[in-house]
Amino acid sequence: MEKEIKETIKQAIRDANTRINEDIKPFIDHYNGPFSEALKENYHISCSTGLPLCQDTGMLEFFCFLGVGFRLERPLQEVLDEIVYEVYKESPYRLSTVDDPLFDRKNRMDNTPAIVHIFSVVGKSLEIRFLIKGGGSENLSRLYMMTPSATKEEVVEQIVQHIKEAGARACPPLKVGIGLGGTSETAMMISKLALTSQISEKNQDQQYALLEDEIKTRINNLKIGFQGLGKGISCYSVHILTHPTHIATLPLAISVDCYLCRTGCVSFEG
Amino acid sequence: MKVEELKVGENIQYTGEFVIMRDAAQKKLTQFQACPINLEGKIIFYAGPAKKPDDCPIGAIGPTTSARMDKYLEMLFKLGVKATVGKGGRSDLVRDLCKDYKSIYCITPSGCAAGLSKKVIEHKILMFEELQSEAIQKILVKDFPLIVAINSQGHTIWD
Repeated sequence: MEKEIKETIKQAIRDANTRINEDIKPFIDHYNGPFSEALKENYHISCSTGLPLCQDTGMLEFFCFLGVGFRLERPLQEVLDEIVYEVYKESPYRLSTVDDPLFDRKNRMDNTPAIVHIFSVVGKSLEIRFLIKGGGSENLSRLYMMTPSATKEEVVEQIVQHIKEAGARACPPLKVGIGLGGTSETAMMISKLALTSQISEKNQDQQYALLEDEIKTRINNLKIGFQGLGKGISCYSVHILTHPTHIATLPLAISVDCYLCRTGCVSFEG
Repeated sequence: MKVEELKVGENIQYTGEFVIMRDAAQKKLTQFQACPINLEGKIIFYAGPAKKPDDCPIGAIGPTTSARMDKYLEMLFKLGVKATVGKGGRSDLVRDLCKDYKSIYCITPSGCAAGLSKKVIEHKILMFEELQSEAIQKILVKDFPLIVAINSQGHTIWD
């Protein structure tokens, strides 16, 4: 079973690094502004050569929904670290992780560790969603501890203001993940989980689904455009995830994914 | 190309040399009293290529966020750097520096690294090899797509 898990996830990571996400391909094909030919040519070359779509082949973030009845012989973190190690040792990707974040910043030479979030769920299956997260888009992650009395308008304004100031630096059009509620770290984590959504997915709650549309429209009105050059759309979609929170808090977390949206989802039955 | 004559928004198919460096190498250069490398007349490309496959001159390559390099730009200009290439907007300081030093800043497509690697003919590591993809490197490119984003009069494509 572990062998099957490893091979399936490794292939999904290679696919996400070298094959254009079918969800966003129509947007790239439709774009005809500056550098449009280069972007189209890129995904053809990547697919035929196995060279990655982007030189920043990211840190790998995994969101694992682990059924209580699913049997694993080893800790999931260990398995996923090994998967990242092997894929990044074997492929023409970039080794982008450094050991000490402040002083030495020496390259680890294997792109580990995998960033792993595990959710224990009922059932016997294992579902893993992942993001290949480049540094450029990661540098736009933000956490705002809003006041509990903040209005919907203030929340929207904070998000739009941030994307207005920094959105062009994350290789737009962007997919935007919003985490609302929980504690600070929950909000950040669910804003990332939101980025694993398909573009067409909407929040189940009508109020939040409408809010997603409103924020998307506001961001598109900023006219940031492909490559930050003002032509074409600025935002593919906005995905909001919420969590119960404390009476004194309203955490608001923002995460963004770049125009390539390198994500994947695999599942296994135990 | 005559740098002073270039207009904002102008497309260039550049053939020639780039010196590649980014955050780590520039930080390291600031620690030297005398710069250990000659950058007179060079064009700096802010990039960190991926691993090189055996049958290619270089691995996937593309621009990184130039705004992170703004604080090192005056140092580069004082060393004689002619122009810089990267992705995204830069601070107002850069607009002033481009004017003062009669230099330009160009953008090249981001998230386009498999395609751009096919425009590279030669690749050589020059210095700080221990920084891996962040080492100072030299590449020779053919028909590399650039757009002038800040010109030597300090005008920008985002004005």
